[in-house]
Amino acid sequence: MYSDQHLRVSDAEREAVSGRLAEHFAAGRLDQAEFDDRVRRAMSAKTRGDLRGLLADLSETGAPAGPELGRGGGGTPGGGPRGPGSPIEFRLDAASGVPTYLQLVHQVEHALRLGYLTLGDQLPKVRDVVASLAINPNTVLKAYKELETKGLTAGRPGQGTFIQATLSQVGLPELAGLRKALLGWLTAADGAGLDEDGMVALFTSALRDFHERRGGSRARGGAASGETEGVA
Amino acid sequence: MSMNVVEASGLGKRYGGTWALRECTLAIPDGHVAALVGPNGAGKTTLLNLAVGLATPSAGRVTVLGGRAPGSPVALDGIAFVAQDAPLYKNLSVADMLHMTRNLNHRFDQGYAEARLAELGIPLNRKAGRLSGGQQAQLALTLALARRPRLLVLDEPVAMLDPVARHDFMAIVLTAALDDGVSVLLSSHVLTELERVADYLILLSRGRVQMAGDVDDLLASHRVLTGPAGEADRYAERPVVHVRRAEAQAHLLVRATANDPVPPGWEAHPVGLEELALAYLREPGAAALPGPTLPGPARGRHAESSEVTR
Repeated sequence: MYSDQHLRVSDAEREAVSGRLAEHFAAGRLDQAEFDDRVRRAMSAKTRGDLRGLLADLSETGAPAGPELGRGGGGTPGGGPRGPGSPIEFRLDAASGVPTYLQLVHQVEHALRLGYLTLGDQLPKVRDVVASLAINPNTVLKAYKELETKGLTAGRPGQGTFIQATLSQVGLPELAGLRKALLGWLTAADGAGLDEDGMVALFTSALRDFHERRGGSRARGGAASGETEGVA
Repeated sequence: MSMNVVEASGLGKRYGGTWALRECTLAIPDGHVAALVGPNGAGKTTLLNLAVGLATPSAGRVTVLGGRAPGSPVALDGIAFVAQDAPLYKNLSVADMLHMTRNLNHRFDQGYAEARLAELGIPLNRKAGRLSGGQQAQLALTLALARRPRLLVLDEPVAMLDPVARHDFMAIVLTAALDDGVSVLLSSHVLTELERVADYLILLSRGRVQMAGDVDDLLASHRVLTGPAGEADRYAERPVVHVRRAEAQAHLLVRATANDPVPPGWEAHPVGLEELALAYLREPGAAALPGPTLPGPARGRHAESSEVTR
């Protein structure tokens, strides 16, 4: 296994570890003082190594520790074998001001554009989304209904909700090539001294020129907008 | 499904010379997770106690589960209430608490309760008082849900819990709402998190209902307009709820949908539930109430606008 001990961790990973510490506490493997101390250390952890240390001496009877840590990071889209269940997991941004059901809709569309989700893939089960995010079931149902209305998904009775259309007309290999070209451009822009905001501004402005030259047709929803979100 | 789980008209409760709740008129439809929000002393606990039959009205009337009297046999059977601070007998073991609750109630799903406690890792032989705060809350919730209620009433359920325990507690409440179709009425003075938990909101202020309705409808019928402070008064004819004004810039919370025209030079933004509730609480004179709260599908005038995606 490659060493990711020094990779920086996100709030989501810190919370995942806190959640597991709570399970160990509930199971009696930690007393209150140890639990409080470890949660405090988890919340201030900077690297994967810091987090692993907090769980190292706790036996795992439930789910293994590996896959959950570092999930949702910047993995390769579409990479790796697909097991049963959904290839994606939802997250919520309380500070975004975007209604919760729309956040779920946007995340599915985004995952479709970037190839995390393809035809026939299953969306997370409503019950699992409710349990893992502690959100109102009606919100999840509303998001799934919206996706179905848009023609992107279809419900199969007793099984779940599945992708039946894709947003990206571009195949994964082409998408990877375009991404590579864009990364080259980003490197050049960085070399020229442009900061991130400058790059976004330049890209957005160039995109606008491109649309105008095309005669004002707003070809949204294709690869172009997918890449925009990938950059921003 | 068009039953109201709680319905009140002109409801009031007086303790001595003080009205804890007055002229309360509302109808909470079935199938929702409804949040009762308001500052301390607004009358939240009083309203809940009246609904579950622990207090009797000084004025007006309240009914539950589609017109039943609180405290009537059907109401007692169909409503589970968890009072503030997870009331448990601290010296009883978890198993004894289960035993007692089963004997005191008409209906009690022992298998469900034991399975839930095992999932949560709560040992049956431990005394309730020796459980962590989160576990005590989970035990009280398990006892309530094992009664298989149609309406679950929770008074400040998560106020004392840490973030992880709060999340886990609400996850169980919300999965019960999905699995068993339990309607939920919970009170809280914590506004954050409510947006993702509640789909119906009742805002209580100084003993009166100030705002009530479907959360999506409430959000879709309000916008924040940002523009030059000098022009703020020109929009006084619009239904402005709340104004925040600096020397140059003003933010107006107005009753308007995404389809309403925006005045030139002004920007319109959608509003979040917390911002909306705070604005109303700061303007005790403002009110946003559904029309006549009659039984039946009280879903409203803004149903179309809530489908708009921006």
